[in-house]
Amino acid sequence: MIQLKGITKSFGRQQVLKGIGLTVEKGEVVVILGPSGSGKTTLLRCINYLEKPGGGEIRIGDCRVDCRAASKKDIRELRKRTAMVFQQYNLFRHKTALENVMEGLVVVQKVPKEEARARSVQLLEKVGLGAKLDAYPSQLSGGQQQRVGIARALALNPEVILFDEPTSALDPELVGEVLAVIRKIAKEGITMIIVTHEMGFAQDVANHVIFMDEGVVVEEGRPNEIFTSPKEERTKQFLKRFTPEGVYSI
Amino acid sequence: MKLDPSFIWTAFVQILSVIPTTLLITAVSVVCGLVIGTAAALIRTFRVPVLSEVAAAYVIFIRGTPMITHLLLIYFGLSLGVDALSKQFGWAFRSSSIPMIAFAFIAFSITAGAYASEVIRSGLLAVNRGQLEAAHSIGMTTGQALRRIVVPQAFAASLPNVSNLVVGILHASSLAFTVSVVEVTAKAQIVASTNWKFFDAYLAAALIYWGLTLLIERASALVEKRINIYYRGGVA
Repeated sequence: MIQLKGITKSFGRQQVLKGIGLTVEKGEVVVILGPSGSGKTTLLRCINYLEKPGGGEIRIGDCRVDCRAASKKDIRELRKRTAMVFQQYNLFRHKTALENVMEGLVVVQKVPKEEARARSVQLLEKVGLGAKLDAYPSQLSGGQQQRVGIARALALNPEVILFDEPTSALDPELVGEVLAVIRKIAKEGITMIIVTHEMGFAQDVANHVIFMDEGVVVEEGRPNEIFTSPKEERTKQFLKRFTPEGVYSI
Repeated sequence: MKLDPSFIWTAFVQILSVIPTTLLITAVSVVCGLVIGTAAALIRTFRVPVLSEVAAAYVIFIRGTPMITHLLLIYFGLSLGVDALSKQFGWAFRSSSIPMIAFAFIAFSITAGAYASEVIRSGLLAVNRGQLEAAHSIGMTTGQALRRIVVPQAFAASLPNVSNLVVGILHASSLAFTVSVVEVTAKAQIVASTNWKFFDAYLAAALIYWGLTLLIERASALVEKRINIYYRGGVA
């Protein structure tokens, strides 16, 4: 289980997170929606301490961290329990697809090389890249790179995978293959927190939807509640822009 | 002016025998320089308190003064310092027993370190911040991330500049003749001192430097091709 309490974060004088609380049950898929600048990516990055929260508490499984007094060890423990899929993929450029997936297993989890290799090959096959084991990131399309990124996250067997707008940098033709992979692993009961702008996907894959704006959680609930009958005015306004296809009027 | 081809050849052959000295000075200075430079670059990039100011001052002072000055300062300063210490503590060791080439090693390593630090720093800046974040996100410590992810990519990015540095130090190693190390330039002078055909002797030395430079450039191109096998970006 993942629990966030009163997470705050400021960049200089601007407060981007104003006390966020959030509970994610094991196996749940949570989607965070919200306009640009609402703090959703920052929140995600606070969970594994790529951003240092100003205050609050993060709890992942048996690891509880007070953000005001987090030690280096606390941060490593959080990072060992999480994995992240980045908007810009951030694959290690000087390593092949296989080495990218193996890296965390071998270096961080100290899994013997042969075993790490076998597991990594299996994961790359799962994301449909069994034929690209020895390709460098520069030889892969954006969609393929992102799927390697997902395999790299899966390899660590984390308690939760954080997806930071995983399809925002892709061209429209490649979005589908990445979403299909995420859907597939969601069905396997892996806990996920996803920041996305893909509304159809969100509605489809989420167990729980959170709508954020200006650093606070405006509304949360089951996807059909949020998408069909939002309570807050701000949520209605936001969702109105994503009218289903075919009903655009110019 | 009349050239004496047969003497140029004689000088050339004689100078060949001291090429190892020139290469040794170059290699030691570049290797030590890269170690010093990488440390200084990391310290400055990650703004380590106090040390980053020290590193910045080192780079500014060394790059702001000529290399021959570094050699002379080390040569005289170190000798005075060693002798003073020996006297203080009653050691038998005297600065006169330090081999001359050691002064060149020390002075040129310090020089190369300052230039290398800027070379490596530019390499570090060329590595996307996302690489470090990704390494952190899979649970690596900052040390592991630097060693395995960031520094290898930074080195690859700085390779053309490193080869530039090697060539620069190779040529500058000729300054070692001022502290009576017999390397290529000093040898040319010695060879010509019997018949005063300095021009011919230095011409032979120039050909040797040129040849060595071509070899270094060739080697660096090969290494670049190997290391950057993953790199398909840029304008090339």
